[in-house]
Amino acid sequence: MTSATIFWLVLFGLSAVLFFVTAAIITVVGVRDLKDLLRKTEVTK
Amino acid sequence: MRFQLVDWIILLLYLGLSVFVGLWVKRYVENMEGYFVAGRRVKIALGSATLIATEIGIVTFMYLGEIGYVTGFSCFVLGITGLIGFIVIGKTGFVISSLRRLKVMTIPEYYELRYSRGVRLIGGIVLFFAGVLNMGIFLRMDGIFLTETMGFSSDVLTPVMIIMLLIVISYTVLGGMISVIVTDFLQFVILTFGMLTATVFVLLEVDLTAIAEAVTREMGEEGVNPFINPKFGWTFIIWMLVGSICTSALYQPVASKSFASENPEVGRKLFLIAGLTLAGRYMIPMFWGVAALAFFGPDLSPTMAMPKLLGTVVPSGFLGLMIAGMLAASMSTYSAYMLAWSSVAARDIIPPILHKDMGERTTMLTSRVISILIGIFILVFGLWYELPATAFQYIAITGAMYSAGAFGCIAFGLYWKKANVVGAYASLILGAVAPLAFLVLSQIQNVIPEYFHFLIDVNVSGFLSFLLAALGMVAGSLFTQQAYPPRHLQPQE
Repeated sequence: MTSATIFWLVLFGLSAVLFFVTAAIITVVGVRDLKDLLRKTEVTK
Repeated sequence: MRFQLVDWIILLLYLGLSVFVGLWVKRYVENMEGYFVAGRRVKIALGSATLIATEIGIVTFMYLGEIGYVTGFSCFVLGITGLIGFIVIGKTGFVISSLRRLKVMTIPEYYELRYSRGVRLIGGIVLFFAGVLNMGIFLRMDGIFLTETMGFSSDVLTPVMIIMLLIVISYTVLGGMISVIVTDFLQFVILTFGMLTATVFVLLEVDLTAIAEAVTREMGEEGVNPFINPKFGWTFIIWMLVGSICTSALYQPVASKSFASENPEVGRKLFLIAGLTLAGRYMIPMFWGVAALAFFGPDLSPTMAMPKLLGTVVPSGFLGLMIAGMLAASMSTYSAYMLAWSSVAARDIIPPILHKDMGERTTMLTSRVISILIGIFILVFGLWYELPATAFQYIAITGAMYSAGAFGCIAFGLYWKKANVVGAYASLILGAVAPLAFLVLSQIQNVIPEYFHFLIDVNVSGFLSFLLAALGMVAGSLFTQQAYPPRHLQPQE
Protein backbone atom coordinates (compact mmCIF):
# COMPACT_ATOMS: atom_id res chain seq x y z
CA MET A 1 0.00 0.00 0.00
CA THR A 2 1.22 3.50 -0.79
CA SER A 3 1.25 6.27 1.82
CA ALA A 4 -1.61 7.99 -0.03
CA THR A 5 -3.90 4.94 0.15
CA ILE A 6 -3.03 4.44 3.85
CA PHE A 7 -3.89 8.12 4.46
CA TRP A 8 -7.34 7.76 2.85
CA LEU A 9 -8.08 4.44 4.58
CA VAL A 10 -7.17 5.84 8.00
CA LEU A 11 -9.29 8.92 7.30
CA PHE A 12 -12.17 6.66 6.24
CA GLY A 13 -11.83 4.61 9.43
CA LEU A 14 -11.86 7.68 11.68
CA SER A 15 -14.80 9.24 9.83
CA ALA A 16 -16.83 6.01 9.95
CA VAL A 17 -16.21 5.56 13.69
CA LEU A 18 -17.14 9.20 14.37
CA PHE A 19 -20.36 8.71 12.37
CA PHE A 20 -21.49 5.58 14.20
CA VAL A 21 -20.55 6.86 17.67
CA THR A 22 -22.35 10.19 17.10
CA ALA A 23 -25.35 8.31 15.68
CA ALA A 24 -25.51 6.11 18.78
CA ILE A 25 -25.49 9.14 21.10
CA ILE A 26 -28.10 10.95 18.99
CA THR A 27 -30.33 7.86 19.12
CA VAL A 28 -30.23 7.61 22.91
CA VAL A 29 -30.75 11.34 23.59
CA GLY A 30 -33.18 11.66 20.67
CA VAL A 31 -35.69 9.30 22.29
CA ARG A 32 -35.92 11.73 25.24
CA ASP A 33 -36.35 14.71 22.86
CA LEU A 34 -39.04 12.84 20.93
CA LYS A 35 -41.05 12.13 24.10
CA ASP A 36 -40.69 15.77 25.06
CA LEU A 37 -41.90 16.97 21.63
CA LEU A 38 -45.00 14.79 21.71
CA ARG A 39 -45.78 15.66 25.33
CA LYS A 40 -45.75 19.38 24.53
CA THR A 41 -47.82 18.98 21.37
CA GLU A 42 -51.56 18.78 21.85
CA VAL A 43 -53.58 16.02 20.23
CA THR A 44 -56.16 17.62 17.96
CA LYS A 45 -58.14 14.66 16.56
CA MET B 1 -33.28 -14.56 -6.13
CA ARG B 2 -31.10 -13.19 -3.32
CA PHE B 3 -33.98 -11.75 -1.32
CA GLN B 4 -35.47 -14.55 0.80
CA LEU B 5 -38.66 -14.94 2.86
CA VAL B 6 -36.99 -13.79 6.09
CA ASP B 7 -35.82 -10.62 4.31
CA TRP B 8 -39.36 -9.95 3.10
CA ILE B 9 -40.73 -10.36 6.61
CA ILE B 10 -38.20 -7.87 8.02
CA LEU B 11 -38.86 -5.40 5.20
CA LEU B 12 -42.66 -5.60 5.48
CA LEU B 13 -42.48 -5.20 9.27
CA TYR B 14 -40.41 -2.04 8.82
CA LEU B 15 -42.71 -0.60 6.14
CA GLY B 16 -45.78 -1.37 8.25
CA LEU B 17 -44.20 0.29 11.29
CA SER B 18 -43.28 3.40 9.26
CA VAL B 19 -46.80 3.83 7.91
CA PHE B 20 -48.34 3.21 11.33
CA VAL B 21 -46.08 5.70 13.13
CA GLY B 22 -46.41 8.33 10.38
CA LEU B 23 -50.20 8.16 10.39
CA TRP B 24 -50.51 7.91 14.18
CA VAL B 25 -48.54 11.10 14.64
CA LYS B 26 -50.78 13.10 12.28
CA ARG B 27 -53.19 13.66 15.18
CA TYR B 28 -50.65 16.11 16.60
CA VAL B 29 -50.96 18.54 13.68
CA GLU B 30 -52.84 21.47 15.15
CA ASN B 31 -52.17 24.45 12.83
CA MET B 32 -49.97 25.74 10.02
CA GLU B 33 -46.91 26.20 12.25
CA GLY B 34 -47.38 22.65 13.48
CA TYR B 35 -47.73 21.35 9.91
CA PHE B 36 -44.74 23.17 8.39
CA VAL B 37 -42.25 23.53 11.29
CA ALA B 38 -43.54 21.15 14.02
CA GLY B 39 -44.52 24.07 16.27
CA ARG B 40 -40.79 25.01 16.56
CA ARG B 41 -40.30 22.61 19.47
CA VAL B 42 -37.50 20.36 18.20
CA LYS B 43 -34.44 19.85 20.43
CA ILE B 44 -30.82 19.15 19.48
CA ALA B 45 -30.57 15.34 19.31
CA LEU B 46 -33.93 14.88 17.60
CA GLY B 47 -33.21 17.75 15.21
CA SER B 48 -29.78 16.32 14.37
CA ALA B 49 -31.27 12.89 13.67
CA THR B 50 -33.91 14.31 11.36
CA LEU B 51 -31.39 16.59 9.60
CA ILE B 52 -29.03 13.67 8.98
CA ALA B 53 -31.88 11.39 7.87
CA THR B 54 -33.03 14.06 5.41
CA GLU B 55 -29.56 14.32 3.93
CA ILE B 56 -29.10 10.58 3.50
CA GLY B 57 -31.17 8.67 0.97
CA ILE B 58 -30.68 5.76 -1.40
CA VAL B 59 -29.90 8.35 -4.08
CA THR B 60 -27.09 9.68 -1.85
CA PHE B 61 -25.70 6.17 -1.45
CA MET B 62 -26.04 5.63 -5.18
CA TYR B 63 -24.24 8.74 -6.37
CA LEU B 64 -21.56 8.48 -3.69
CA GLY B 65 -21.06 4.78 -4.46
CA GLU B 66 -20.93 5.55 -8.17
CA ILE B 67 -18.32 8.26 -7.72
CA GLY B 68 -16.29 5.93 -5.46
CA TYR B 69 -16.29 3.26 -8.18
CA VAL B 70 -15.23 5.79 -10.84
CA THR B 71 -12.69 7.92 -8.94
CA GLY B 72 -11.31 5.71 -6.15
CA PHE B 73 -10.17 7.32 -2.91
CA SER B 74 -9.97 10.78 -4.56
CA CYS B 75 -13.68 11.34 -3.97
CA PHE B 76 -13.17 11.15 -0.20
CA VAL B 77 -12.15 14.81 -0.47
CA LEU B 78 -15.89 15.62 -0.85
CA GLY B 79 -16.43 14.33 2.68
CA ILE B 80 -13.80 16.77 3.89
CA THR B 81 -15.26 19.79 2.03
CA GLY B 82 -18.77 18.95 3.29
CA LEU B 83 -17.50 18.53 6.84
CA ILE B 84 -15.78 21.93 6.71
CA GLY B 85 -19.00 23.54 5.41
CA PHE B 86 -21.22 22.16 8.17
CA ILE B 87 -18.68 22.80 10.95
CA VAL B 88 -18.23 26.44 9.84
CA ILE B 89 -22.02 26.93 9.87
CA GLY B 90 -22.38 25.05 13.16
CA LYS B 91 -19.70 27.15 14.86
CA THR B 92 -20.64 30.56 13.46
CA GLY B 93 -24.39 30.21 12.81
CA PHE B 94 -23.66 31.67 9.35
CA VAL B 95 -27.04 32.55 7.77
CA ILE B 96 -29.03 29.94 9.67
CA SER B 97 -29.13 31.68 13.08
CA SER B 98 -30.32 34.95 11.55
CA LEU B 99 -33.04 33.20 9.53
CA ARG B 100 -34.25 31.29 12.59
CA ARG B 101 -34.40 34.56 14.60
CA LEU B 102 -36.64 36.04 11.92
CA LYS B 103 -39.06 33.09 12.43
CA VAL B 104 -39.56 32.38 8.74
CA MET B 105 -41.01 29.02 7.64
CA THR B 106 -39.55 29.03 4.14
CA ILE B 107 -36.43 30.62 2.60
CA PRO B 108 -38.40 32.83 0.14
CA GLU B 109 -40.27 34.39 3.08
CA TYR B 110 -37.01 36.11 3.89
CA TYR B 111 -36.92 37.55 0.35
CA GLU B 112 -40.19 39.38 0.99
CA LEU B 113 -39.07 40.68 4.38
CA ARG B 114 -35.72 41.97 3.06
CA TYR B 115 -36.55 42.84 -0.57
CA SER B 116 -40.08 42.60 -1.99
CA ARG B 117 -43.03 40.30 -2.68
CA GLY B 118 -41.86 40.00 -6.30
CA VAL B 119 -38.46 38.68 -5.22
CA ARG B 120 -40.25 36.15 -3.01
CA LEU B 121 -42.28 34.98 -5.99
CA ILE B 122 -39.30 34.69 -8.36
CA GLY B 123 -37.13 33.13 -5.62
CA GLY B 124 -39.92 30.68 -4.79
CA ILE B 125 -40.33 29.68 -8.44
CA VAL B 126 -36.56 29.13 -8.95
CA LEU B 127 -36.34 27.21 -5.67
CA PHE B 128 -39.38 25.06 -6.44
CA PHE B 129 -38.34 24.09 -9.96
CA ALA B 130 -34.65 23.53 -9.15
CA GLY B 131 -35.67 21.53 -6.07
CA VAL B 132 -38.14 19.32 -7.90
CA LEU B 133 -35.67 18.81 -10.80
CA ASN B 134 -33.00 17.92 -8.24
CA MET B 135 -35.36 15.33 -6.79
CA GLY B 136 -36.23 14.02 -10.26
CA ILE B 137 -33.61 11.28 -10.37
CA PHE B 138 -34.13 10.03 -6.82
CA LEU B 139 -36.71 7.37 -7.67
CA ARG B 140 -34.77 6.06 -10.60
CA MET B 141 -31.64 5.62 -8.51
CA ASP B 142 -33.68 3.99 -5.76
CA GLY B 143 -35.25 1.59 -8.24
CA ILE B 144 -31.83 0.56 -9.63
CA PHE B 145 -30.48 0.06 -6.11
CA LEU B 146 -33.40 -2.09 -5.03
CA THR B 147 -33.50 -4.26 -8.14
CA GLU B 148 -29.72 -4.83 -8.02
CA THR B 149 -29.51 -5.64 -4.31
CA MET B 150 -32.71 -7.64 -4.10
CA GLY B 151 -31.99 -9.52 -7.33
CA PHE B 152 -35.12 -8.53 -9.27
CA SER B 153 -35.30 -7.93 -13.02
CA SER B 154 -35.65 -4.35 -14.26
CA ASP B 155 -39.35 -5.05 -15.08
CA VAL B 156 -40.25 -4.60 -11.43
CA LEU B 157 -38.57 -1.19 -11.23
CA THR B 158 -41.76 0.81 -11.79
CA PRO B 159 -43.97 -1.04 -9.27
CA VAL B 160 -41.19 -0.83 -6.65
CA MET B 161 -40.94 2.93 -7.21
CA ILE B 162 -44.72 3.46 -7.06
CA ILE B 163 -45.20 1.48 -3.82
CA MET B 164 -42.39 3.34 -2.05
CA LEU B 165 -43.74 6.69 -3.20
CA LEU B 166 -47.30 5.92 -2.11
CA ILE B 167 -46.18 5.09 1.43
CA VAL B 168 -44.17 8.31 1.76
CA ILE B 169 -46.90 10.50 0.27
CA SER B 170 -49.49 9.03 2.64
CA TYR B 171 -47.80 10.10 5.86
CA THR B 172 -46.17 13.29 4.54
CA VAL B 173 -49.42 14.65 3.14
CA LEU B 174 -51.44 13.82 6.24
CA GLY B 175 -48.99 14.52 9.04
CA GLY B 176 -46.74 17.33 7.79
CA MET B 177 -43.54 18.15 9.68
CA ILE B 178 -44.53 16.33 12.89
CA SER B 179 -44.91 13.06 10.95
CA VAL B 180 -41.74 13.79 9.00
CA ILE B 181 -39.71 14.35 12.19
CA VAL B 182 -41.02 11.33 14.06
CA THR B 183 -40.62 8.98 11.08
CA ASP B 184 -37.22 10.57 10.33
CA PHE B 185 -36.06 9.58 13.79
CA LEU B 186 -37.23 6.00 13.36
CA GLN B 187 -35.66 5.96 9.90
CA PHE B 188 -32.40 7.44 11.21
CA VAL B 189 -31.99 4.56 13.68
CA ILE B 190 -32.80 1.93 11.05
CA LEU B 191 -30.64 3.47 8.31
CA THR B 192 -27.65 3.72 10.68
CA PHE B 193 -28.06 0.04 11.45
CA GLY B 194 -28.37 -0.71 7.72
CA MET B 195 -25.16 1.21 6.98
CA LEU B 196 -23.32 -0.62 9.75
CA THR B 197 -24.54 -3.99 8.47
CA ALA B 198 -23.46 -3.23 4.91
CA THR B 199 -20.03 -1.91 5.95
CA VAL B 200 -19.28 -4.90 8.18
CA PHE B 201 -20.08 -7.39 5.40
CA VAL B 202 -18.13 -5.43 2.79
CA LEU B 203 -15.08 -5.41 5.11
CA LEU B 204 -15.50 -9.16 5.77
CA GLU B 205 -15.68 -10.02 2.06
CA VAL B 206 -13.33 -7.51 0.43
CA ASP B 207 -9.77 -7.23 1.71
CA LEU B 208 -8.45 -3.70 2.36
CA THR B 209 -5.19 -4.52 0.59
CA ALA B 210 -7.13 -5.70 -2.47
CA ILE B 211 -9.09 -2.43 -2.46
CA ALA B 212 -5.93 -0.33 -2.27
CA GLU B 213 -4.28 -2.39 -5.04
CA ALA B 214 -7.35 -2.12 -7.29
CA VAL B 215 -7.35 1.68 -7.01
CA THR B 216 -3.61 1.89 -7.77
CA ARG B 217 -3.88 -0.60 -10.66
CA GLU B 218 -6.98 0.86 -12.35
CA MET B 219 -6.49 4.59 -11.68
CA GLY B 220 -2.89 5.20 -10.67
CA GLU B 221 -2.22 8.58 -9.06
CA GLU B 222 -5.70 9.86 -10.11
CA GLY B 223 -7.30 7.40 -7.70
CA VAL B 224 -5.63 8.95 -4.65
CA ASN B 225 -5.06 12.57 -5.66
CA PRO B 226 -8.29 14.54 -6.22
CA PHE B 227 -6.41 17.56 -7.57
CA ILE B 228 -5.20 15.69 -10.65
CA ASN B 229 -8.28 13.50 -11.08
CA PRO B 230 -10.10 14.72 -14.25
CA LYS B 231 -13.52 14.35 -12.56
CA PHE B 232 -12.47 16.84 -9.88
CA GLY B 233 -9.48 19.18 -10.04
CA TRP B 234 -9.04 22.53 -8.30
CA THR B 235 -12.15 24.13 -9.83
CA PHE B 236 -14.49 21.43 -8.60
CA ILE B 237 -12.97 21.23 -5.13
CA ILE B 238 -13.12 25.01 -4.65
CA TRP B 239 -16.73 25.02 -5.96
CA MET B 240 -17.64 22.27 -3.48
CA LEU B 241 -15.88 24.00 -0.58
CA VAL B 242 -17.43 27.41 -1.28
CA GLY B 243 -20.77 25.75 -1.98
CA SER B 244 -20.67 23.76 1.27
CA ILE B 245 -20.01 26.80 3.42
CA CYS B 246 -22.28 29.20 1.56
CA THR B 247 -25.26 27.05 0.75
CA SER B 248 -25.54 24.08 3.12
CA ALA B 249 -27.87 26.12 5.29
CA LEU B 250 -29.84 27.54 2.37
CA TYR B 251 -31.46 24.40 1.05
CA GLN B 252 -35.12 24.42 2.12
CA PRO B 253 -35.35 20.72 3.20
CA VAL B 254 -32.25 21.22 5.37
CA ALA B 255 -33.04 24.74 6.57
CA SER B 256 -36.58 23.71 7.54
CA LYS B 257 -35.11 21.47 10.26
CA SER B 258 -33.42 24.50 11.76
CA PHE B 259 -36.65 26.54 11.43
CA ALA B 260 -38.38 23.76 13.41
CA SER B 261 -35.82 23.94 16.25
CA GLU B 262 -36.82 25.43 19.59
CA ASN B 263 -34.44 28.42 19.34
CA PRO B 264 -31.66 29.86 17.10
CA GLU B 265 -28.94 28.31 19.27
CA VAL B 266 -30.38 24.83 18.78
CA GLY B 267 -30.79 25.56 15.06
CA ARG B 268 -27.06 26.33 14.83
CA LYS B 269 -25.97 23.30 16.86
CA LEU B 270 -27.90 20.94 14.58
CA PHE B 271 -25.38 21.77 11.88
CA LEU B 272 -22.43 21.21 14.20
CA ILE B 273 -23.59 17.72 15.17
CA ALA B 274 -24.71 16.81 11.65
CA GLY B 275 -21.28 18.09 10.50
CA LEU B 276 -19.45 15.68 12.80
CA THR B 277 -21.13 12.80 10.96
CA LEU B 278 -20.78 14.24 7.47
CA ALA B 279 -17.36 12.87 6.48
CA GLY B 280 -18.44 9.41 7.62
CA ARG B 281 -21.81 9.40 5.88
CA TYR B 282 -20.14 10.50 2.64
CA MET B 283 -17.14 8.19 2.83
CA ILE B 284 -19.00 5.01 3.85
CA PRO B 285 -20.99 4.65 0.57
CA MET B 286 -17.95 5.90 -1.39
CA PHE B 287 -15.96 3.10 0.23
CA TRP B 288 -18.61 0.56 -0.85
CA GLY B 289 -18.12 1.87 -4.40
CA VAL B 290 -14.32 1.53 -4.21
CA ALA B 291 -14.76 -1.97 -2.77
CA ALA B 292 -17.01 -2.83 -5.75
CA LEU B 293 -14.12 -1.88 -8.04
CA ALA B 294 -11.85 -4.32 -6.21
CA PHE B 295 -14.52 -7.05 -6.13
CA PHE B 296 -15.85 -6.88 -9.71
CA GLY B 297 -13.18 -4.98 -11.65
CA PRO B 298 -13.74 -1.83 -13.74
CA ASP B 299 -16.13 -3.16 -16.40
CA LEU B 300 -19.49 -2.87 -14.63
CA SER B 301 -21.91 0.02 -15.00
CA PRO B 302 -20.69 2.51 -12.36
CA THR B 303 -24.27 3.07 -11.21
CA MET B 304 -24.92 -0.63 -10.63
CA ALA B 305 -21.56 -1.73 -9.20
CA MET B 306 -22.09 -0.71 -5.56
CA PRO B 307 -25.64 -2.10 -5.12
CA LYS B 308 -24.54 -5.28 -6.88
CA LEU B 309 -21.72 -5.65 -4.36
CA LEU B 310 -24.05 -5.19 -1.40
CA GLY B 311 -26.55 -7.65 -2.88
CA THR B 312 -23.70 -10.16 -3.25
CA VAL B 313 -21.84 -9.87 0.06
CA VAL B 314 -24.70 -9.25 2.52
CA PRO B 315 -26.33 -12.61 3.45
CA SER B 316 -30.04 -13.33 3.62
CA GLY B 317 -31.63 -12.04 6.83
CA PHE B 318 -29.15 -9.21 7.09
CA LEU B 319 -30.10 -8.23 3.52
CA GLY B 320 -33.66 -7.53 4.71
CA LEU B 321 -32.30 -5.36 7.51
CA MET B 322 -30.00 -3.50 5.16
CA ILE B 323 -32.74 -2.89 2.57
CA ALA B 324 -35.07 -1.67 5.34
CA GLY B 325 -32.29 0.73 6.37
CA MET B 326 -31.81 1.97 2.82
CA LEU B 327 -35.57 2.38 2.30
CA ALA B 328 -35.72 4.25 5.60
CA ALA B 329 -33.01 6.59 4.34
CA SER B 330 -34.93 7.28 1.15
CA MET B 331 -38.32 7.69 2.73
CA SER B 332 -37.02 10.31 5.16
CA THR B 333 -35.46 12.22 2.27
CA TYR B 334 -38.63 12.09 0.14
CA SER B 335 -40.88 13.19 2.95
CA ALA B 336 -38.66 16.15 3.87
CA TYR B 337 -38.23 17.23 0.23
CA MET B 338 -41.90 16.90 -0.63
CA LEU B 339 -42.93 18.91 2.40
CA ALA B 340 -40.25 21.53 1.68
CA TRP B 341 -41.14 22.08 -1.97
CA SER B 342 -44.89 21.92 -1.45
CA SER B 343 -44.63 24.45 1.39
CA VAL B 344 -42.68 26.80 -0.90
CA ALA B 345 -45.34 26.48 -3.61
CA ALA B 346 -48.25 26.88 -1.16
CA ARG B 347 -46.77 29.81 0.76
CA ASP B 348 -44.40 31.60 -1.63
CA ILE B 349 -45.68 31.05 -5.18
CA ILE B 350 -49.45 30.67 -5.24
CA PRO B 351 -50.50 33.50 -2.82
CA PRO B 352 -48.45 36.20 -4.64
CA ILE B 353 -49.88 35.04 -7.99
CA LEU B 354 -53.46 35.11 -6.64
CA HIS B 355 -52.78 38.41 -4.81
CA LYS B 356 -54.44 37.14 -1.60
CA ASP B 357 -53.71 35.39 1.67
CA MET B 358 -55.17 31.89 1.44
CA GLY B 359 -55.64 31.20 5.17
CA GLU B 360 -54.22 28.30 7.19
CA ARG B 361 -56.56 25.50 6.08
CA THR B 362 -56.36 26.33 2.37
CA THR B 363 -52.55 26.67 2.56
CA MET B 364 -52.22 23.25 4.20
CA LEU B 365 -54.65 21.68 1.70
CA THR B 366 -52.74 23.26 -1.22
CA SER B 367 -49.46 21.97 0.18
CA ARG B 368 -50.92 18.45 0.42
CA VAL B 369 -52.18 18.51 -3.18
CA ILE B 370 -48.82 19.79 -4.43
CA SER B 371 -46.99 17.01 -2.54
CA ILE B 372 -49.05 14.47 -4.50
CA LEU B 373 -48.33 16.27 -7.80
CA ILE B 374 -44.59 16.30 -7.00
CA GLY B 375 -44.77 12.55 -6.41
CA ILE B 376 -46.39 11.99 -9.83
CA PHE B 377 -43.83 14.24 -11.51
CA ILE B 378 -40.76 12.52 -10.06
CA LEU B 379 -42.18 9.15 -11.01
CA VAL B 380 -42.60 10.18 -14.67
CA PHE B 381 -39.32 12.15 -14.79
CA GLY B 382 -37.37 9.34 -13.12
CA LEU B 383 -38.50 6.88 -15.78
CA TRP B 384 -37.43 8.82 -18.89
CA TYR B 385 -34.69 11.36 -18.10
CA GLU B 386 -31.15 10.48 -19.23
CA LEU B 387 -28.42 11.81 -16.95
CA PRO B 388 -25.95 14.18 -18.70
CA ALA B 389 -23.19 13.62 -16.10
CA THR B 390 -22.62 11.45 -13.04
CA ALA B 391 -25.56 11.43 -10.64
CA PHE B 392 -23.46 13.39 -8.13
CA GLN B 393 -22.82 16.14 -10.64
CA TYR B 394 -26.49 16.25 -11.70
CA ILE B 395 -27.49 16.73 -8.06
CA ALA B 396 -24.80 19.38 -7.61
CA ILE B 397 -25.76 21.35 -10.74
CA THR B 398 -29.52 21.37 -10.06
CA GLY B 399 -28.73 22.37 -6.48
CA ALA B 400 -26.53 25.22 -7.78
CA MET B 401 -29.40 26.48 -9.97
CA TYR B 402 -31.21 27.55 -6.83
CA SER B 403 -28.52 27.87 -4.19
CA ALA B 404 -26.25 30.26 -6.12
CA GLY B 405 -29.04 32.87 -6.30
CA ALA B 406 -30.15 32.13 -2.75
CA PHE B 407 -26.59 32.66 -1.55
CA GLY B 408 -26.53 36.03 -3.32
CA CYS B 409 -29.87 37.11 -1.85
CA ILE B 410 -29.57 35.74 1.68
CA ALA B 411 -25.88 35.98 2.57
CA PHE B 412 -25.58 39.46 1.04
CA GLY B 413 -28.99 40.42 2.42
CA LEU B 414 -27.98 39.48 5.96
CA TYR B 415 -24.40 40.73 5.95
CA TRP B 416 -24.27 43.59 3.39
CA LYS B 417 -26.33 46.69 4.07
CA LYS B 418 -26.37 47.82 0.43
CA ALA B 419 -28.12 44.69 -0.89
CA ASN B 420 -31.36 45.82 -2.56
CA VAL B 421 -34.25 44.49 -4.61
CA VAL B 422 -32.54 44.96 -8.02
CA GLY B 423 -29.46 43.07 -6.82
CA ALA B 424 -31.75 40.29 -5.55
CA TYR B 425 -33.49 39.86 -8.92
CA ALA B 426 -30.13 39.91 -10.74
CA SER B 427 -28.66 37.36 -8.33
CA LEU B 428 -31.58 34.92 -8.60
CA ILE B 429 -31.71 35.07 -12.38
CA LEU B 430 -27.95 35.04 -13.09
CA GLY B 431 -27.40 32.27 -10.53
CA ALA B 432 -29.81 30.00 -12.41
CA VAL B 433 -28.53 30.76 -15.93
CA ALA B 434 -25.32 28.69 -16.04
CA PRO B 435 -26.81 25.49 -14.51
CA LEU B 436 -29.89 25.77 -16.73
CA ALA B 437 -27.66 26.24 -19.80
CA PHE B 438 -25.73 23.14 -18.76
CA LEU B 439 -28.87 21.01 -18.43
CA VAL B 440 -30.29 22.13 -21.78
CA LEU B 441 -27.04 22.23 -23.81
CA SER B 442 -25.83 18.86 -22.53
CA GLN B 443 -28.93 17.28 -24.11
CA ILE B 444 -28.06 18.76 -27.53
CA GLN B 445 -24.26 18.90 -27.29
CA ASN B 446 -23.75 17.38 -30.76
CA VAL B 447 -25.33 20.36 -32.50
CA ILE B 448 -23.91 23.30 -30.53
CA PRO B 449 -20.81 25.23 -31.67
CA GLU B 450 -17.42 24.33 -30.18
CA TYR B 451 -17.03 27.68 -28.39
CA PHE B 452 -20.11 26.98 -26.21
CA HIS B 453 -18.69 23.67 -25.01
CA PHE B 454 -17.26 25.21 -21.84
CA LEU B 455 -20.88 25.55 -20.68
CA ILE B 456 -21.30 21.78 -20.71
CA ASP B 457 -18.39 21.33 -18.31
CA VAL B 458 -20.37 20.67 -15.14
CA ASN B 459 -17.62 22.04 -12.88
CA VAL B 460 -17.23 25.31 -14.80
CA SER B 461 -21.01 25.73 -14.94
CA GLY B 462 -21.43 25.19 -11.19
CA PHE B 463 -18.62 27.53 -10.25
CA LEU B 464 -19.86 30.15 -12.73
CA SER B 465 -23.33 30.12 -11.16
CA PHE B 466 -21.97 31.35 -7.80
CA LEU B 467 -19.74 33.93 -9.43
CA LEU B 468 -22.59 35.34 -11.56
CA ALA B 469 -25.02 35.38 -8.62
CA ALA B 470 -22.57 37.34 -6.45
CA LEU B 471 -21.72 39.72 -9.30
CA GLY B 472 -25.41 40.24 -10.03
CA MET B 473 -26.12 41.16 -6.43
CA VAL B 474 -23.15 43.52 -6.07
CA ALA B 475 -23.50 45.26 -9.44
CA GLY B 476 -27.32 45.40 -9.32
CA SER B 477 -27.33 46.90 -5.83
CA LEU B 478 -24.50 49.38 -6.28
CA PHE B 479 -25.89 50.85 -9.51
CA THR B 480 -29.42 51.34 -8.13
CA GLN B 481 -28.93 52.50 -4.51
CA GLN B 482 -30.67 55.85 -5.11
CA ALA B 483 -33.68 54.54 -7.00
CA TYR B 484 -34.16 51.44 -4.80
CA PRO B 485 -32.87 52.10 -1.28
CA PRO B 486 -32.19 48.91 0.71
CA ARG B 487 -34.65 47.72 3.36
CA HIS B 488 -33.22 46.71 6.77
CA LEU B 489 -34.64 44.15 9.18
CA GLN B 490 -34.77 43.77 12.95
CA PRO B 491 -34.69 40.19 14.28
CA GLN B 492 -37.87 39.13 16.15
CA GLU B 493 -36.11 37.54 19.16
